[in-house]
Formats: sequence, C-alpha cells, structure tokens
Amino acid sequence: MQLPETQATVLESASASAPTPIETIATDSEEPTAAVTRAAFELEDHGLITITESTTDSVNLTEEGETYRRDGLPECRLYRAAATAGADADSVPMGDLIQAADLGGPAVDIALSNFARKGYGRIESGAVSIDPDADPDADPEAEALTALAAGESSDDLPIESLERRGLIERESSTDRSVQLTDAGVTAMMEGVDIADTVGQVTPELLTSGEFESVEFTPYNVAADAEQPPRGGKHVLRRISDRVKRVLVGMGFEEMDGPHVDADFWINDALFMPQDHPARTHWDRFALAEPDRIDELPEALVTAVENAHRNGVGAESEGYHSPWDEEFARALALRGHTTSLSMRYLSGHQVGELEPPQKYFSVEKVYRNDTLDATHLLEFFQIEGWVMAENLSVRDLMGTFTAFYERFGITDVQFKPHYNPYTEPSFELFGRHPTTGELIEIGNSGLFRPEVLEPLGVECDVMAWGLALERLAMLMTGAEDIRDLHGTLADLDFLRSTEVTH
Amino acid sequence: MPVVDIDTDELRRLASTEESDDELKAQLFGLGLEFEGESDDGALQFEFAPDRLDRLSVEGVARSLRYQHGTDRGVYLPTMNDPEWTIAVDSSVPDERPYVTGAVVRGLDLTDEGLESLIQLQEKLHATMGRGRAKGAIGIHDLTLMKGESLASDREKSITYRGIDPDGDRFVPLDGETDATPATVLETHPTGTQYADLLAGMDRYPAIYDDIGLFSFPPVINGQRTEVTTDSRDLFVELTGTNQWTIDKMCTIICYALDARGGRVERVTVEYPDGTELDRPDCSVTEKTINHDRIESVLGVSFSPEEVIDYLERAGLDATHEEGAYEVAVPPYRVDVLHPIDLVDDIGRAHGFNDLEPRYPDVSTIGGTHDRTQLEDALRETLVGLGFEDMLNFHLSNVEDCFERMGLEPSAESVVGGGRPATIVEPYSEEYTIVRTWALPSLLTVLENNTHRRYPQALSEIGLAASIDEAVETKVAERQTVAGVLASTDASYEDAKGRLQAIATAFGVELSTPATEHPSFIDGRTATIEFDGEPAGVVGELHPRVLVEHDLELPVVGFEFDLAALSA
Repeated sequence: MQLPETQATVLESASASAPTPIETIATDSEEPTAAVTRAAFELEDHGLITITESTTDSVNLTEEGETYRRDGLPECRLYRAAATAGADADSVPMGDLIQAADLGGPAVDIALSNFARKGYGRIESGAVSIDPDADPDADPEAEALTALAAGESSDDLPIESLERRGLIERESSTDRSVQLTDAGVTAMMEGVDIADTVGQVTPELLTSGEFESVEFTPYNVAADAEQPPRGGKHVLRRISDRVKRVLVGMGFEEMDGPHVDADFWINDALFMPQDHPARTHWDRFALAEPDRIDELPEALVTAVENAHRNGVGAESEGYHSPWDEEFARALALRGHTTSLSMRYLSGHQVGELEPPQKYFSVEKVYRNDTLDATHLLEFFQIEGWVMAENLSVRDLMGTFTAFYERFGITDVQFKPHYNPYTEPSFELFGRHPTTGELIEIGNSGLFRPEVLEPLGVECDVMAWGLALERLAMLMTGAEDIRDLHGTLADLDFLRSTEVTH
Repeated sequence: MPVVDIDTDELRRLASTEESDDELKAQLFGLGLEFEGESDDGALQFEFAPDRLDRLSVEGVARSLRYQHGTDRGVYLPTMNDPEWTIAVDSSVPDERPYVTGAVVRGLDLTDEGLESLIQLQEKLHATMGRGRAKGAIGIHDLTLMKGESLASDREKSITYRGIDPDGDRFVPLDGETDATPATVLETHPTGTQYADLLAGMDRYPAIYDDIGLFSFPPVINGQRTEVTTDSRDLFVELTGTNQWTIDKMCTIICYALDARGGRVERVTVEYPDGTELDRPDCSVTEKTINHDRIESVLGVSFSPEEVIDYLERAGLDATHEEGAYEVAVPPYRVDVLHPIDLVDDIGRAHGFNDLEPRYPDVSTIGGTHDRTQLEDALRETLVGLGFEDMLNFHLSNVEDCFERMGLEPSAESVVGGGRPATIVEPYSEEYTIVRTWALPSLLTVLENNTHRRYPQALSEIGLAASIDEAVETKVAERQTVAGVLASTDASYEDAKGRLQAIATAFGVELSTPATEHPSFIDGRTATIEFDGEPAGVVGELHPRVLVEHDLELPVVGFEFDLAALSA
C-alpha cells in the first residue's frame, strides 16, 4: 500500500494493543500536530485506525494565584504581621500592620475581607485583633495553591473558592489517540510505502492513477504571481465598438468613405456658405497636394450652387455669399464625417436610398489645431441620421434619449441651437452619472430643405454628431486625452485601464 | 460664437423691466444667450449662436426680451423721415468693393453707455456679418460736421463714394496726429496696418467725400473731422462692401438700435452710376408662407391656428391664417430667415422645445456594420488573441517620422511604406504635415516613447494609411493597413513569421514569404508577405539603424500588410 508520508508515519506509530497519542506522534516525527491529526482522520476514513478522544481538565494558577503562592495569601500575611505585633492580646492599629505585611492597593481589601471570612480575627475601629487559635500555615486555600502548582490534584481542594477569587483557571483539552484496526494491522503486515509529495501534475500521474495516493506540495497561494503581458483592444476602440453595437441595435447601418474629400462633400452639400468662418478659418486641414478633385456629379454641383445662390423653392433666399466651384473642388481632410452622410444621401455612395433609412459612422475627423490635454488634431466623431417621412424634433429627442440611456446618461437636455445645415437645431447636454458634470454631448437637428432638395431627398432627415473622446474621457477618467490616443500613448496607462463592458 | 456685452441697467431700462440680474440671466438663457462672465468694466457677457445677429447689442437683446415678456407683440417698423441726403456712387469706385448703403439718424441724446453700445455693435457686426470688414464695413459720422450742399444748390445734400489713387488725397484719420494719404495710413496707422490686407492688390482705394473732402476711408478708418461723441445728436451711417444685401442688413440692425435709443431714422438715396436708385435703409417686411401641417409635422405637436399666430407674434412676427397656411411678415432686422422652415423654429422656441415630450420614432430598419468593420474586428480579435496590444495612432505624421527615421527615401514607391504622401497646407504643427503612408513608423514611435515600460512589448494597429493616386476619385488612395511589432530581448524573425502564419490560417489564406530587401529591415531577414500568391506587405527584423534612431536597445521584429488582402 502507498500512503502519503504523514499518513504512513501515523500508521507506523500506531499500535494495535494500546492507544498512541497524536501529540506524541507529532513530537516524535516533528510534524505539525494539525497535519498529523489530518492524516489520522484520513486513515480513519480508510478504516485503518480508530481514533479515541479523551478530554482532560486541567487547573492552572493565574498570575495573581502564582503571586500568592509565592508570597502568601494577603489575609495570611496580615495575620502573621498582627501576630508578630502582639494582636493576640491587644488590638493593633491597621496602618502599622498593612505596612508590616507589605500590603498595597487592592491587596488591602482582599486581606481584610478574607481575614474576616476565615475567622482569623476581628477588625474594629481601624484596629486589628486576631484569634490566637487560627493557623494561617494550615490555610486550605494556600495549601491548595501549592498543591496545584506542583501538579497535584484532589477532589478535596477548595477549587470553587479559588476560582471565584480569580486565583486559578480551569481548562479542558481534547487529546486524540490512535490505535490500529485489523485492516490497519493487515496493511502494516503487507507493507506500507511512502508516496512522494509532488509539485506538478504530470501525464504519468494522471494515466497511472497515482494521483490518488500522492500529496501535492502546498504553495503560498496568497502571494502575488508574475503577471503575464495582456493583449487587448485599445480602450477607445472598445468604447467605439460599444457605440457601434448600440447603434446597430437601434437599426443603424454603418457608412464608410474617404478621409480626404472635396470641400463640396464636406461643406457645400451641407449648405455651409463659402465665406463661413469655419471654411476660411485656419483650422481647416486643406491639402497642398493633391489639391483638387476632378470627379463631382455635375447635376448635383449645379443644384447645390443654386441652393447657395437662390435657395430652394419660391420663398427661399439662399446666401448672400460668393460661391466658387473651384473652392468646392478643393481637397481637405474632412472636418466632420457629415461628408459621408452627404455622399450616402445623394445616392453617390451606395445608390439612391428610399425611406426609411438609418445610417451611422464612428470615424476620424481632422482639425488643424494645437494639440493639448483636451484637444486633438484628429478625433472620432459619432455621426448618425434617420431618413423617414414626417420626422419631428420629438423623434430626434426620443432617439437621443434612447441612445444615451445606454451609456447611463438619463437626463439629456436639449438646448435650441443654430447650425447652417439644420433647422431646428439642438445642442445636447447630459449630466454624467458619476462626475455630475453637465457636458455637451452632441449637436443635432433636422436637415434644412436647402440641404435635402439638391440631394434629391423628398422626406425628412434628422442627423447628429458628437465627439467620442469626450465620452471616453468621462468613462475612463483619463485627464490627458493624449494618454488615450496617438503615439504619445503611455503603455502603462493603456495596460491598467479597466475594460468596458 | 458671438459675444454681446450687456450693461444690465441699460437692459432693464430698454426692456422696461425691474428684474434682477439673475432673473435676466435665466431669461436670456431661454433665448439662447449663455452667460459667459463679466467684462473688465463690469458688463455681463453672453455668448450666442451666430443666427440672431440683431442681438449683438443691448438694444437688440432688450427688444427680444420685450417680446418674451409680452411687452411687445408682432412686427415693429421704425417710422422714417423722407431723404434729404444722397450717396452718389462714382464710376471710379473700386470693382472689388462696389456697394454702399447708409442712413441718417437724428435727434439722439447719446449717453456714455449709448455711445459705448453703438461702438460695440459696430465692431460685433464687423466681426460677424461683415466677415472682418471684408464683406461689409460701417462708418458712423457726426452729421453736423459734414457739408453736403453742392455749390449748385438746387441739388439735395450729397456725399460721394469713389475710388481714389492710394496716394491721391490726404485726410486726418481717427486717432491720427497729422493728415496722411490712404496708402500712408495703411503703413503707419495701427488700424491701417491691421486692415491693410483687405486692400491688397487694389489699384484704387475706396473713399467717401463730402463737400469739404475725404472723410471716410472704408473699410479701414474714418476721418477725425466727423468723429462721433456724446455731444453728437445727428448721425450719418455709411456702409460699403462686397454684397448689397449684407450691408443693407447691417445698416438696418444699426438703425433699429438707434431707434430704440430715441433717434429718428431718415432715409437716404443711393445712386449708382448705372442709374439704379435705392431708398435706404430698407425697413420693409418680407413675406413667407408656411403650412400648418408642416409646423405640426416638424414639431410633432398639434396646434390651433390661434396658438400658432400667438407664438409668431410673440416672436416679433405678424401672421394671418388662411386655408391651412400662414402668411408671415418678417421684420427687416432678421437676417436668419432664409426659408419658411426658419419660422417653424421660431414657433418651437416660443412654444418651448424643452416642453416637448421625446418619443422614439416608429422607423423600422435593419442595422449592421460595414464589411470593412467586420473584417477589421475579426483581425483585431485574432491579433489580441496572439497577445498584441491594440494601438490607436494618429493618421497624421511628418516626413521625418514616416520616411527618414525608417531609412526610407521619401516617395520610394516600390517598397512597402513608400509613396507620395498627401500633404497639408500651412500645418499648425510641424509634427503633423502629411497623412502617413504606413503604420510601422507610428508603432516604432510608441516603442520609442515607452522604453521605460515593461517588456516584452507586442503592439499592433489596424488603421488608415494613404498616398497620392491620380486614378482615385479623391486623388488619394486610402487603405486600412495592419502593422505589428514585437520588442523583446530575444525577438527574432520567426516570432513575426509565426504570428503571420496564425493570422493566415485564421483567415483561410495561403501565406508565403519570399526573401526581399527593404531599407527599414535587415537584409537576409526580410520577406515579402504574400497572401494567396499576391504581395500584400513586408515582414522582417528592423534594421539596427532604425532601432538606434528610435532609442531602442533590443531587437524588434515587425510586419505590415493591407487589410483588404485577407478578404480576397
């Protein structure tokens, strides 16, 4: 039979004829008592030994009891001091005796109360007289302390009164002993081999069935282990994915299209006047090379130019601004992904669209600006639009309410706003659930007739855009947007960012 | 966004209200004017969207507040006197700035606050509608200091807008010490140097003359002779620009502001050389028609015609209802009403957009992601499974990072990473001047910036790379590129190749890696990545020169290939 080492030790130490205390086995084998006890129970489970338990009561002196055993009980010392002072004849003032008996603090009260209880004498008006027949040398409590300290015990000892005085403590302990059963004797006769402790589960261990009889080296399971490198999606990508999942769940189809595009698609189709500050401002990322698109849908260019110059329909005015087709053909990095919406709505990207349609994108946009903790030159814009008959601003509000609820923002506020391309227009604000900060979370509206009619769209389109990084900063707690995005990324920051789910 | 400075005592006086500053702030917020802070002289500053430019002064804001309070209703048109003055446009006027308009306002009693407000309105209009004075510029003069009677005095009083030689005449500009020619003003006067660009390339400079001489040099500066002070009672307002409508609207907004201060507007006649005569300012209403159904459809609310008319009147408009449509009169200071849809917005604001109940639209469509996204997601998942940390770098880069530090000749088109980059005009930062042609340089830069972080570092990125291609619609061929680097003390070619094999298996393509040469990699340890026999990218051990250039002190292997090659 193969047994783990500790079990084998217990079995070998046990006898069939008499119980062997586990404590003895533990001492002899230098194994912890707990390990030996555990092994013994396992052997008992296998029917190889029996375990008997006995409870031993022991009495031990407390610290105070030990002091009195050594120095004498306070009442005895008072008696002896009084006897020496001649109190068997005349009473002696207590003050003298306390000093002579070397009593102090609580010992004085203890001496006085027990002196009286044991009939050693009387105390009257602060003077002590003693009973000459009393014999403190035969005090049963003093004798008991001496006996208990010597390990002697007897039922006659005044255990109760000593315990009441707090001079002794009673304890009971369980002692276990083991004794071989017949099966144990048989096993011993057949021979017991010690199984090794093992550190690693091996194929042999498993296929041989050996694992049944081995002991695994215990580890320090509380200690930190070396952390493996973790592959993982970029935190901003995870948030972008989450936004995409929500929009797909709301029935939106994803758009894709060029980052470099003609101003026609970026601005003109959107009814942005050519002298609008955003188009002349230095934050536009115009290209030096290449600088001009050749292919534009001619009919659409004409329709857009007409909308800018004359508006659409009888009572529409258009802009009182210059319009130059060459400017429309200038190439730039898109400042917003609404260029994609224009390409899709015009039918240029995927053919004519019949309502209802819902489209979105979560893609990069570019601003020629300084890079700092909250501004990037390129960032992600969440763009979306719904094309359907008879859309109202209430539909717009309902769509946003549903969208932002998915990100824990439940009190979206709509502030009437102005955009050249939407009417009515709204800025969206929401209070972040953890920071409590009121943040601008988007810009939205119903596309103007001057946008839709040239595109050939005959129903309503509501649209919006917002910056993903704003949402991400609030969700990750990042204070410097550059930690998140770009080549200045801090790997430690990315590695320690919690996953979003 | 425009900012208007408001002296709240003036606002209370003009709006006939006694409300506290806080109450006013709350009401202005409702109008779309957001409190931004206080100016140096204690005025409250409010920011607003650039549609209602009639609110660029305290007078305009007060008018909006009077409508909101119900103190006023419907369209207000100032009473105007008949013209005494003519602005004659001479045929010499510069082609670049052919238009002029104007008005006379009499009987003003300007306080310091009133004058301050007028100057502010002028500057704000310059900055917004005037496009920095290029499209429209305003000059305001003390009428009593102008002399308009011609010697042949059977004519009306008149001033002349003409073009002059840059050094053709002299005048004393505002805040100027001596008389100077327009050309000298542009060179020496602070305001002149500020606006000199607006006249660049012009042979003749715009100038306005009265009988005494040159008194205004638009769009730069007025003459000192006609300077307006708090003692000025009668004003002459002239505007020049590149668009008649724009300067007429700017003029109207100023006239409304001065009317609110008790002035009496007097029309002027503008005479163009072709005989066209304009009667200005144009304080007539514009008519727009809007259908009741369209109002209800856009706002998603049912209204009675009485409610609609009430809302329109509270917005300072007049309306009549007939056969399911409204004939709406729009006052001349409204520059934002381009189309009847803009009136629906006015009704919505008067009703209160925040009182509308959101509803989820009953528009049923089937959603989904783009094929490219699905491919990208699948690859990103595979890369992450292989232990890569997904990066997100800027698409913008510069020639040094993208080429030189990689040992690559710019526009070496035959190698991966080569190609003519799309280049930015006047980049704000030298770091970002081109669209990157490949992504490995970005990953090398991340490694460079993280040498103090724990190794191994396995980084990957799927993102945009682009180069010029005349055959493409936008002249730029954009592609999703896939790049990976492994940096560790024992990184070798095999580590990269093994991972590429895993990717090829996952996407069901045949990988082969014939040897090649690439300036960024070590010869003999570089291969072309071919998927199903088609070249798709490059893999190899980065050249020590490239590593040292990026302050790296351990081997790095890397690869880059086209995402689209996996979907073939």
